[in-house]
Amino acid sequence: MLNDKRVILMTRLAAYEQGDGKKNVEIGNYFRSDYLAVQILKSVICATIVYALLFALYVLYDFEVFMQDLYKIDIIAFAKDVLKYYVICVAGYTIVTYIYCTYRYIRSRKSLKAYYQNLKKLNAMYGTEGSQPEATTGRTTGGRR
Amino acid sequence: MTALLEIREKIKEFYSRFEVYILPVVKFALAFIVLMMINSRMSYMARLDSVPIVLIVALMCSFLPTGCIVFFAAIFTLGHLYGLGMEAALVVLCVYLVLFLLFFRFSPKETLLVVLTPVLFALKLPYVVPIAAGLLLAPSSMVSACSGVVIYYVLHTILSGASNLMTMGDDILAKIRFLLDGIVSNKAMIVVAGAFAVTILVVYLIRRMSVDYAWTIAMITGAILNIVVILVGDLIFDINVSAGGVILGSILAIVIGKGIEFFRFCVDYSRTEKVQFEDDEYYYYVKAVPKMTVAAPTKTVKRINTQTPGRDRRVETERTGRRSAGTAEYGRSGRSVTIGSTRTQEPAAEYGYEDGYEEGYEGEYETEGAYTEDGYGAEGEYDPGEGYDGEDGYGSEDGYYDEDETT
Repeated sequence: MLNDKRVILMTRLAAYEQGDGKKNVEIGNYFRSDYLAVQILKSVICATIVYALLFALYVLYDFEVFMQDLYKIDIIAFAKDVLKYYVICVAGYTIVTYIYCTYRYIRSRKSLKAYYQNLKKLNAMYGTEGSQPEATTGRTTGGRR
Repeated sequence: MTALLEIREKIKEFYSRFEVYILPVVKFALAFIVLMMINSRMSYMARLDSVPIVLIVALMCSFLPTGCIVFFAAIFTLGHLYGLGMEAALVVLCVYLVLFLLFFRFSPKETLLVVLTPVLFALKLPYVVPIAAGLLLAPSSMVSACSGVVIYYVLHTILSGASNLMTMGDDILAKIRFLLDGIVSNKAMIVVAGAFAVTILVVYLIRRMSVDYAWTIAMITGAILNIVVILVGDLIFDINVSAGGVILGSILAIVIGKGIEFFRFCVDYSRTEKVQFEDDEYYYYVKAVPKMTVAAPTKTVKRINTQTPGRDRRVETERTGRRSAGTAEYGRSGRSVTIGSTRTQEPAAEYGYEDGYEEGYEGEYETEGAYTEDGYGAEGEYDPGEGYDGEDGYGSEDGYYDEDETT
């Protein structure tokens, strides 16, 4: 006989697994430090590409003047300036990424915690009905280091 | 009001029944409108400016993920701009890459807003964007809305200077300088993007508050704030914004916001209940606001079959009954009673409440107490805002499953 409560719970779990849960499980498989490291690495790459694009546009904007001044200006000082702005941009973007990804990781961990509790509840429902308890499909996820 | 609620229930029922077909049709329509608008406003590349191509791409978008509409819209704009001049396409490609690499990775869900914002600008309804995003989406939608504003103004700047661009001949550097000057000196873009970001944040924060009529207060406050920020920006940067247009547009945004509220958060504050109770660990101060729902009217067919040996008579009558909206998805289509053999084929159907209202709680739950677990802190307040019916439908704002909801 169908157990309404169990069917509702299973439906919700399945919906979660196919929706937000997919992303959360993916995040939950990482240790926090690993997840943040990957995201920060991506951020550094993205920020570098964007900086290169903007620098190229800056050079193109006044290309003739830039080429005329190239032989007059102190190249080392100019390179230092370029590098300084690059570090500032990348550091700023990395900090934003760190804050956002930490928040996202904590949120997905909480969400997964509730999800696994519901899986346990589902398992218990099978137990109380006298049928063989089924192993939950939940994976062991990484924890906080 | 009851009639409106009935219509809403019918729409919901219709949508839930035919969601599989409605979603692709909506995606197709959206992609078609977006691409046709791009073609009508740009049309610099003859190959793209053709209805069959738009139809094919829109058809592809109907079954591909929603983000593909953004991708194809970007391809179409780049194609047309390439037709205008390689420099224009290059500059816009750089803008797209910057937005994609820096911002879209943080809000992939709201990518559609990037396309909708320029479309609403073109339809003279731009101020709907911050109100609707604040009411329906998370604060991260600021990024998508502002990206949409940037894209609109960049394209607008390029298109308004298209005639100059064509007369510049082959001087690539001059063209690039002309385009970048136009984009960087566009103060209207910065003012509108800032106004949208602030409005989205304020609307979101107010509508999550546990006060009566929070949604209405949020949209009115947001609209006023939007007007103030844009007009102050106009005074400071002299961006030539029509004050009447901003005010009228904001009023229209409030009207559309009320429509959104009707479908998303229709509650009856006059029947708000406040209860207080406790268990071993917490004190609970609960404010429960009932949703306004009405039983969807349904037509029931009563079949009367008279079974006489050698003579079979069948009488069918129709009548209109009311059915609880909640039972709609089970597909019960009324009751069927056979008279003659006096055998009831189905038990009498349960109809909705006589007064036409059902109580479902769209809660604004406030709890206070000493939380010792789960990191809420000693004086922590757990205020899930929209309570058991969270944004993602899993029980709370962040995807929790609430125990009460599952039992």
